[in-house]
Amino acid sequence: MGMDRREFIKSCSLVAVMGLLYGCRKLPLDEVARLGDGPTLKQFEDEVKLAVSQAKKQLDLVKVSRPGPLSIPGASPLNRFGMAIDLDLCDGCGECILACNKENNVPLVPEDDAARGRFMHWVDMRSGAPFMCAHCGKAPCERVCPTGAANHTPDGLSAMVYKRCAGSRFCGANCPVQARKFNFNDAQKLGLARKFNKEVPLRDKGVMEKCSLCLHRLQNDRLKFKTQLSVAVAAAGNVSVKNAAENATEWRGRGVTTACSDACKRRAIIFGNWLDEKSPLVQLTKDRVLYAPREIADLDPSVVFMRGRR
Amino acid sequence: MFRYLMLAGLALFLPGLCALGYSLYEGPSAWMLDSRTFWGTPISLFVFWVGLAHAGTLLSAVFLALDIKLDRRTALIAELSTLASLVFAGIFPLMHLGYLQNFYMVAPFLDARGNFANVSSPLVWDFCCIAVYAILSLLFFVMHLKARVNPALDKYRKPMAWLLFPLVLWVHTVVSLDFATTFVPEWRGAFFPVYFIAGAIFSGIALVNLLLCTEGYRVRLLERLQLICSWILCAIWFWDFLLKGTFFASAFIFAGVLPQLRLVSVFRENRWGRAALSVSVLFGLFLERFYLVSPEYGTSSSFGWIDLGLVAFSVGGFMLLFFGVRRLLNRYAENAGAYFGEVDGSDMAKVEEAEDAERVAASGLGVEKSKKGFYIQPWSSEEYRILRFPLLVGIAVALIFVVWAWGQLPFVNVELSLANVLPLVYPVMALATVMTLLARIYFVEKSFVLHRREKILGVAILILAGACAGTFFAGGASETSGASVDVAAFGENTNVDLAQSALVWNARCATCHGRDGKFNEKFVREYYPVPPKLDLPRLDSLGTDSLVKVVLNGRVNMSAYANRLTPAEAYGLVNYMRSLAARDSGEGAR
Repeated sequence: MGMDRREFIKSCSLVAVMGLLYGCRKLPLDEVARLGDGPTLKQFEDEVKLAVSQAKKQLDLVKVSRPGPLSIPGASPLNRFGMAIDLDLCDGCGECILACNKENNVPLVPEDDAARGRFMHWVDMRSGAPFMCAHCGKAPCERVCPTGAANHTPDGLSAMVYKRCAGSRFCGANCPVQARKFNFNDAQKLGLARKFNKEVPLRDKGVMEKCSLCLHRLQNDRLKFKTQLSVAVAAAGNVSVKNAAENATEWRGRGVTTACSDACKRRAIIFGNWLDEKSPLVQLTKDRVLYAPREIADLDPSVVFMRGRR
Repeated sequence: MFRYLMLAGLALFLPGLCALGYSLYEGPSAWMLDSRTFWGTPISLFVFWVGLAHAGTLLSAVFLALDIKLDRRTALIAELSTLASLVFAGIFPLMHLGYLQNFYMVAPFLDARGNFANVSSPLVWDFCCIAVYAILSLLFFVMHLKARVNPALDKYRKPMAWLLFPLVLWVHTVVSLDFATTFVPEWRGAFFPVYFIAGAIFSGIALVNLLLCTEGYRVRLLERLQLICSWILCAIWFWDFLLKGTFFASAFIFAGVLPQLRLVSVFRENRWGRAALSVSVLFGLFLERFYLVSPEYGTSSSFGWIDLGLVAFSVGGFMLLFFGVRRLLNRYAENAGAYFGEVDGSDMAKVEEAEDAERVAASGLGVEKSKKGFYIQPWSSEEYRILRFPLLVGIAVALIFVVWAWGQLPFVNVELSLANVLPLVYPVMALATVMTLLARIYFVEKSFVLHRREKILGVAILILAGACAGTFFAGGASETSGASVDVAAFGENTNVDLAQSALVWNARCATCHGRDGKFNEKFVREYYPVPPKLDLPRLDSLGTDSLVKVVLNGRVNMSAYANRLTPAEAYGLVNYMRSLAARDSGEGAR
């Protein structure tokens, strides 16, 4: 054979290098490839602008009373999270939509869907104000979900178990305000999804989704609170400290905000706990008149609008 | 004749199959949808075919139960059309799902994690009712075929007919509740069950009339019924219009106006004329279902190729299936003429007489048969005596099932009232009753003997059904148990050393928790919210005892291991987990 030792070693090492490259094709190479393919932030911004300019749906608001404790079994008497959107302050800029998309990894939609107004955005613009799932206390979507994928948490959130959703879209058909979005496209395969936030999973094709009131933020805060509390109690180890910390032994979700309320420059979106007197939500809505869309006014919504002073 | 119809069906079916394949691949965006139409064509086709599926049972069972004479050929055709329609009524709700793999979660069975379907959802009622209806219709058809050979079975047909009669109404009531329980303004109304049942019977009769045209004879009773049904439906449409102002002009023309041409003798006496009337009714009723399911049709969306393909798939598939079976029966069944027969109607009376005589001889009900009209059998009659015990069994099973299902919830926060479970009562009862009835036939009737081939088929079906049920019903094998194991009783048990715990950890826990005690990212990222990391401060804050409790009794996403691990092993695992976390935090510090 016409191959000397130098040639032989060279080809051997080439094969080894190729093998090594092949072995790590999954992790680093994939990541690099995906960075190039993924949609840019600019695309997300453009889509939000398009959605805001296309928004046609109107809201028919009626007065509602202040949300109280939930009546579902197992509901917490301490927490019921919700939001109030101040229509006097809101100028319909659409910043909240972009913030929500980034927080919750909401994917882009293909062009023909965008032309038809079929966006995946959890927050819509209706009558020039942000509108999202109202997390109704008597949610009609949860009642008709055959698998229990749509269900209520004890803290008053209307939650989704993505892995249990069969995609029957019954909840979407039964939502009087069409707040639910269905994943018609495989956004990950089409390169339309981008994982801005590691804490929120990307949703599969064929699954329903909607506003979660930034459930992961609440969950993180709850765990942090409980861990710190028990560490503090264990460290102090005596009863008097326990008693001193009594008023802070229950988690009320203080200090948590949603992405949309963070993003609002005019502070028109207020997140909080309807059952907590110290919550900004309760304090700021004290002397305001609350409104909700007519279709869901009877369903005990947690997300309401406010306008004018009493 | 049947061959050409079969080929025509095939010609429609094949492109339709492509459309079906594409919509399965592409998902729900393949067909027409808009912001207010979440369901679209497949569900309108589902309602349409379920309606057609009522023809057989209505005409055969209800007429049999009420002693209205219908000859065997017509009844068999109707029953066969039911079965063929049910196939498509079953396909569409499945293919319209966004996430087809999860379809079994709709069945009211416990899965391994103890999750139950949400019984307050009309979809769950649908699933049960239609499944039971399909099984019972198939058994009714087979029994009808068998009764021809073995007259002893004839007396069992009527009790079965009495069970199927309410089931027809029940199934379509439940289908209408899919719509009537929602918040869509166009779908609301307490009259919806009546509306849907009337529409279903109307379309079913039109289908049977159309099929009779292909057979080459006519049954005037059914034609008259078709006309009467059109009046009833027009009245309901008028009511709907007064209430909500919805009115579907084209559906009204095709299914309300054109059927009145039966009053003109030229149409009535011509075979093609009769066929055209039936087709017009079917077309009109399909349009009506379509407009109903897609309330915004025309304004923001339009019918596409895939929608047409799906329609072609079901129509062609029905023709293929129906005429295919029809030809098979013609060829292989002995004395086929007596089952169906290409007769022009002249010897209808004879067949009927012969059947009548046969039935009278078999059941010994000569006295009661002589009475005419709607005569409901008294409690002492033969058929009631046959039905009595199976019915008791059925009621008992239904009660047990309903009480059991009432206690099962998909999640603890779901509120379930007894009324939510009631729609399941009758189907379960009918299923249990018919099964008991069949057992009685098998054990009591001496003349009823199964061939070897039939026995093998029966056993195969039983095994298959058992396998299906076993796959879906895992009985909550790893459910979080309500009765907690008391940990304090065991004390801090450390006789399991770390090496041994490491083995158990790698075997039992590592799939989710990872060998290094950090989460297996591939698996855990699917959870939302993401479960908290088990680092040292968190483990300390939870405490050993409560962690052992979680291992044994389960919590949220964690399965219960009480019957797979001893408390000592659980203690060992917690210690091992702590050592992993300590090692991890040590590395972090360095």
